[in-house]
Amino acid sequence: MTIRRMIATTALATVLSIGAVQAQKDELVIGISQFPQGFHPNIASHVALSLIHGMTRRPFTVYDAEWQLICQLCTTVPTREAGTIRDWTTPDGKPGLAVDYTIREGATWGDDKPITTKDVLFTWQIGREETSGVNNQELYRRMEMIEAKDARNFTIFWNKRTCDAAAINDFEVVPAHLEADAARDPTAYRTRNAYDTDPTQSGLYFGPYRITHVEPGATVVLEPNPTWWGTAPFFRKITIRTIENTAALEANLLSGEIDYIAGEDGISLDQALTFEKRHGDRFDVVFKPGLFYEHIDLRLDNPVLEDIRVRRAMLHAIDRNSISERLFEGKQPVADTSVHPLDSVHVEEVRKYPFDPKLAAAMLDEAGWNDVRNGIRHNTDGEPLKLEIMTTAGNRVRELVEQVIQSNLRDVGIDLRIRNQPARVLFGQTIRQREFTGMAMFAWFSSPRNVPRTTLHSSMIPTIQNGWSGQNYTGYRSDVMDTAIDKVEVECSDDAQTRHWTTIQQTYADELPVLPLYFRANAFIMPKWLKGVTPTGHQYPSTLWVENWSAE
Amino acid sequence: MSAAEPVFGRPTAETPLFWQRLRRNRAAMASAVILIVVASLAMLAPAFESLLGVEATRVNLFNQYATPGSTHWLGTDEAGRDVFVRLLYGGRISLLVGLVAALGAAVIGTSIGLFAGYHGGRLDTLLMRTTDGVIALPLLPLLIVLAAIDLTKLGIPDGIANSEMTSLYRIVFIIAIVGWTTVARLVRAATLSIRTREFVRAAEAMGAGSTTIMLRHILPNVVSPIIVATTLSIGAVILLESVLSFLGLGIQPPIPSWGNMLTNAQELATRAPALAVWPGAVIFVTVMAFNFLGDGLQDALDPRSVRR
Amino acid sequence: MLTFLTRRIAGMTIVLTFMSFVVFMLIGLMPGDPIDIMIASNPDLTPADGERLKRLHGLDLPLWERYGNWLGGALSGDLGFSRTYNRPVLDILLPRLGNTVILLGLSSLVAIAIAIPLGVIAATRQQTPVDSAINLFCFAGISVPPFWLALIFILLFSVTLGWLPAGGMGAPDAGLIARLDFLVLPVTTLTIASLAGYTRFARAAMIEVLRQDYIRTARAKGLGPTRTVFGHGLRNAMLPLTTIVALDFGALFSGALITETMFGYLGMGKLIYDSILGNDFNLALVGLLLATLVVLIGNFLADIAYAVLDPRISFRALEAA
Repeated sequence: MTIRRMIATTALATVLSIGAVQAQKDELVIGISQFPQGFHPNIASHVALSLIHGMTRRPFTVYDAEWQLICQLCTTVPTREAGTIRDWTTPDGKPGLAVDYTIREGATWGDDKPITTKDVLFTWQIGREETSGVNNQELYRRMEMIEAKDARNFTIFWNKRTCDAAAINDFEVVPAHLEADAARDPTAYRTRNAYDTDPTQSGLYFGPYRITHVEPGATVVLEPNPTWWGTAPFFRKITIRTIENTAALEANLLSGEIDYIAGEDGISLDQALTFEKRHGDRFDVVFKPGLFYEHIDLRLDNPVLEDIRVRRAMLHAIDRNSISERLFEGKQPVADTSVHPLDSVHVEEVRKYPFDPKLAAAMLDEAGWNDVRNGIRHNTDGEPLKLEIMTTAGNRVRELVEQVIQSNLRDVGIDLRIRNQPARVLFGQTIRQREFTGMAMFAWFSSPRNVPRTTLHSSMIPTIQNGWSGQNYTGYRSDVMDTAIDKVEVECSDDAQTRHWTTIQQTYADELPVLPLYFRANAFIMPKWLKGVTPTGHQYPSTLWVENWSAE
Repeated sequence: MSAAEPVFGRPTAETPLFWQRLRRNRAAMASAVILIVVASLAMLAPAFESLLGVEATRVNLFNQYATPGSTHWLGTDEAGRDVFVRLLYGGRISLLVGLVAALGAAVIGTSIGLFAGYHGGRLDTLLMRTTDGVIALPLLPLLIVLAAIDLTKLGIPDGIANSEMTSLYRIVFIIAIVGWTTVARLVRAATLSIRTREFVRAAEAMGAGSTTIMLRHILPNVVSPIIVATTLSIGAVILLESVLSFLGLGIQPPIPSWGNMLTNAQELATRAPALAVWPGAVIFVTVMAFNFLGDGLQDALDPRSVRR
Repeated sequence: MLTFLTRRIAGMTIVLTFMSFVVFMLIGLMPGDPIDIMIASNPDLTPADGERLKRLHGLDLPLWERYGNWLGGALSGDLGFSRTYNRPVLDILLPRLGNTVILLGLSSLVAIAIAIPLGVIAATRQQTPVDSAINLFCFAGISVPPFWLALIFILLFSVTLGWLPAGGMGAPDAGLIARLDFLVLPVTTLTIASLAGYTRFARAAMIEVLRQDYIRTARAKGLGPTRTVFGHGLRNAMLPLTTIVALDFGALFSGALITETMFGYLGMGKLIYDSILGNDFNLALVGLLLATLVVLIGNFLADIAYAVLDPRISFRALEAA
């Protein structure tokens, strides 16, 4: 009915609007699909917030677009060679590390006060405070102490000796001169801190921009921060607008209400693919495969999945290539292990599982599931080969992939039942407390060279006794894997690193505690005139380099 | 959704006249025919599957977004599944949910209406105040809360609380427990007028218990408002199911319903508008037919009342 | 008048307290503790962190005790904090309430302004094609899935024609007038759903009135049909319509929830929906109560309008009711 005609006229409207002259832009409106939950960099934890704070603040260290660790607020990345990382022994005799940093010259809060080691110490104290509401307290607890040499130089003393001690990406410095009062009563800090009570205060920010207006749930307006140390940013004003309905987000882009949909928190990949086909002449769509590892966790204590032959057969039976090619046009590469091909520690020589239903069927036969009745395999005891899969309800792409997998496995005689739950139930309870019975499909989001201790080490299996800590939801236990993980964390030479990372990946692919699916990609939809945006593909957003953005 | 509730002067049971009147109402007859066709098609879904050689759950990534043709009458969706057959299966679910939830609501509403109208007094006041209260509430947010609660926390065994069909039972249940108000008010009004009639008085004089009187003497005389209200509410429930699906709280995939097909398609509206057109159109036509039929039934059952 | 007010306010308080209890308990039955989710999403948090955060947010207490604490706080004016926005709930809710009242008020007005003439036309031309057309239009309005209608509007008026914004609220510093174009599509979508009910009632009420003796008398005296209708009939036909508009307020609010979600309009409905799904207990609870209060006040205003429109009904009569 009407829609058909509508679509026909859309094409016409598009043609007409190209003719319109694009005036020189000095403002940018970014569309995202969620609004940050609070503005305190250490209390709230949200992708939309990291996107905004990428423009208003800078971490000491961070991974850049080439996935190398660099300094932003510090001067140089500490190394052993330079003597800025040294062995140290904790007061109770444990091996630790001392790491030196220097705050870069000219780093100044928006109210003209310099950023000093006072702020660093204050941030650390608040972070260690039990009741302050800071979410990542583990980071601050691992910092046994911090010593300020002068206003710009300080040393962090870690109570553990690890290879990634130089990275303090999540240590978000906050201004002591503005926050000290609110922090006097630590319990009230989480509601009284200036980031939440008065987020437009200039002294809270030190990046190229500062927040000048907030409309909760809808809009955050940024304007240049005069005290910024680096290149002056191009845009006079950046507005971040939240539109949760992704269809409406897209419509807003087309109608010119917003200029750019940020890939970090934008529309789904298949929507972006369609969008590129229809509007590729007006917009650049950049697909950046990232550290989102889509996979299926398996309950290894399930009698069916316990058998490695069944797990391998299943992976051979799932047509991951077609999923990648047909649903995502190859933009989301098939994963062999949890380590991304762009990661420097990635190893190519691991066991592969190409799509081969015949082989899968043979493997299932061999595993004792050889009695096919009504298309479903049964074992000699007459039990059907039946499994349950769960994923996040309402995530259309996952639900679609799930149904493809159901169809694929059905072809080799595995009866897969779908039972989905809303994200907050699935992650808050079912997966965390290992209440899924067979398979759970979800994604891990990580940073480069992330050691998979929490997901693969046998000490990380959540149980009621350990308060459901750890993320080894599959219940995977392997001595080889445990040793490799323990060593990769502390043996830092290149040679040792290569060896241990190889073991980790090969063991993973051999034993398949998890079925790897693919690496998800983010879609950045930019107007042709927007230049300088470089997607990173990891959890640190492209806005950390916003001063390089410009309009043509 | 909106208030389209019938008002009844007095019940009539003149069957031949009723048929004559209904047959004269062309809109109602057309609606009845449409509904019969839709329901039969939905019932015949498996037959169409084998006739066309397609499967509603068969994913085929090499045949996505196929255009309508001899195998796929309405084309295929983003997973290469046949849209026509899925619509039929979705219709089964949507019609089933509509019917069962509307009947459930009618049962609750009738009981409350009968009690309030027959016993009168304080009970009546209390029940009717509650009814008015429920009518006035912003129901959708409450439905969202109800749809989100964890059934296992209510002590419902995990096997039932977490099966593939849970979302279906849940929808039916929550719609029934909030949808009874219209029927309750109509039945109460009708009961009030019948309570004083001679045959009721006579039964009372002969010592019949109140339950007997309500069920055997009053109920048969208040069926027409129940029928009309239920017909209208089937349509409303189908619409509500689509709304709940849109909010992510309706029938969950892989079970297809018109509501979740439409919700799913709206994200793909620019890529494949037809996917959104079909379920939307079937919902629209079906709900419209239920409304016209209900309206016609009311006119036919109670010609004296003004059409509202 | 005073007793009437007192009684109504007492009634509202009872309803609200009861609602707060029911909703609090229902929310307690929702799965997924917010802290559990935080832990699940951040691999660096330890179980000790989880316990600490739970204590901090008072989530380790039994439900009864939590309700008691909440009610105590609420009575002393502290409605608590929103977990997601980290702000006092009223700070978040009140601006949204304003937006929703604008949306509801505008669409009620538009719906009534269209429904009355439509109803009158249908009533005076019973059983004609015009009547049938209006009837068809009404049925169509209540039979279309509202979010589908919204989608069609967005595709047509925003994407294809580019006449109206697809959603949002306009520049934050602009006044109401500058934001009017952002209101057109949400108000239209919402109006269409309620228009049908109103029109059908207006029509029925008008037919009822036209049957009355005094109208016949007026006609017999030679008054033209238009003057009869507008001079005598309309005022009487307005009465039942007021009740319907009042009773419909709850449904209208439900409609607003969908409209707001679809158009990214920052209203209460969307906020409540988001807070329920985001396990922001306090915000959801207070939001629901506030929505109920709005509806109750709507009903109350309708009662007053009823009394004003109908000289036969005094406040004394309302008190007795």
